[in-house]
Amino acid sequence: MTTPAPVPARPRRQIWSIGGGKGGIGKSLLTASLGYQLAKMGKRVILVDSDLGGANLHTCLGLAAPERTLGDFIRRRAERIEDVLVETGIPLLRLISGASDFLAAANIKYPQKVRVLNRIRALEVDVVLLDLGAGTSYNIIDFFLVSDVGLLTVVPEPTSIENAYRFIKSALYRRFRNAVQNDEVRQLIEAALDQKNPHGIRTPLDLLATVEREHPGEAQILKNEMAAFRPQFVVNQVREPADAGIGHQLVAACARHLGVRTTYAGFVHYDEAVWRSVRQRRLFMVDAPRSRAAEDITRLVRGLVQGETLTLPW
Amino acid sequence: MGYGTHYDVLGLTPAATAEQVEQAYQFFSGMYGEESVATYSLLEPGELREVRTRVQQAYDVLCDAVKRQEYDAALAAPPAAPVAEEPAPTRPAAATPARPVPAVPAGPPRLLPEPVTGASLRKAREELGIPLQHIAGATKIGVRFLEYIEADRHRDLPALVYLRGFVQEYARFLGLEPRRTAESYLRRIAPDQ
Repeated sequence: MTTPAPVPARPRRQIWSIGGGKGGIGKSLLTASLGYQLAKMGKRVILVDSDLGGANLHTCLGLAAPERTLGDFIRRRAERIEDVLVETGIPLLRLISGASDFLAAANIKYPQKVRVLNRIRALEVDVVLLDLGAGTSYNIIDFFLVSDVGLLTVVPEPTSIENAYRFIKSALYRRFRNAVQNDEVRQLIEAALDQKNPHGIRTPLDLLATVEREHPGEAQILKNEMAAFRPQFVVNQVREPADAGIGHQLVAACARHLGVRTTYAGFVHYDEAVWRSVRQRRLFMVDAPRSRAAEDITRLVRGLVQGETLTLPW
Repeated sequence: MGYGTHYDVLGLTPAATAEQVEQAYQFFSGMYGEESVATYSLLEPGELREVRTRVQQAYDVLCDAVKRQEYDAALAAPPAAPVAEEPAPTRPAAATPARPVPAVPAGPPRLLPEPVTGASLRKAREELGIPLQHIAGATKIGVRFLEYIEADRHRDLPALVYLRGFVQEYARFLGLEPRRTAESYLRRIAPDQ
């Protein structure tokens, strides 16, 4: 009797999403750069412009607006998601463009969303990068939650960080809602989304304490969800050393005041080389591979692939 | 947030070196500082003031070798409080007491009259003749924290989420109904929660 030869384990394909809650903080450029660097490392990469209302990932790559987009797939004008895949001209890097031609796609219904997510998961690639739009709509949150790696982009500005906290809370409460069956607890979760709720719940920790008090049997579900939710911060447009330190502060603040265990994936410097490339609709990773920002991206991707994060020196 | 020990406030363990205390102080001073973008939208002005005071108090004690030694001695017992970066750690489970303890009355759990205070807990304990050290030994909650509970030193107590567990363990040990006892005790500390 012979034993079948073991099938070599194929690294599982991964979905990384790039969110952050606020517009104009460099999510699309970051997505394109991460994708470029991953492809350069030999990974088969597909960029998905999930910013269905304001897609511009193609512009970051110097491409004209593709004729076939995710919107065509959602509206079933394209049967297979592969039919809307576009070559970028960079080996191993392909793109599924967003639905700039179809604004209503920004409000896709749940079954359509499931269809998109399932097809994305089934793609023959190593890494799928989802460029999420701004805001905290359910579409964006659901794309974020389905990811293996959830990156939260911030820039060192109060508004960006405020939106990132809002994004974290919205995503966590969405997880809670999906996990909890008890109607009264679900109502508490709904109420908690309003910062001025009558229960005085301002943070996930407040919510947990309320559930522990009023529905102790359900609290463990929330604790499990909090433990499993591990977004990673990327600080973009760093101009001075203190800016890079903000990532550590965000991690500590989330742990202490929200009860969420985030990590700090890395930072990218503000760089004139990036600005110059953007103006020419070219990717700075190609044009200025030795620029500070390009080196930051290289370091960031290496850390993400190896599962390393930045930690405080003590 | 709850604050726990001075070490918790600075995100350190009691084994931290003087240099680590200094680094942690610099870090948290910046994080909760006037110009910090990381915390301004997260905390109310009152919370920010409170946490800044806590950070300063923690540093004042831990950066002074003599004060720190006294503080460590006061904390005594095993380090029951978790480090700050752990959001929802499980409290250590009750262990077998090292020494025989006076018998706790059998029968259904009792309820103390409302509101449950540190003083009423202490009275219940003393009536049973149970020293705090016995409760500490059985529950692995530091004697110092048990004293704070009885003295109603709310500002020195750990975060509500941990304190609830502490009071429940304490109550269970005395044959009191744990959940309602803890609820009544905590209601005085955080009536809005």
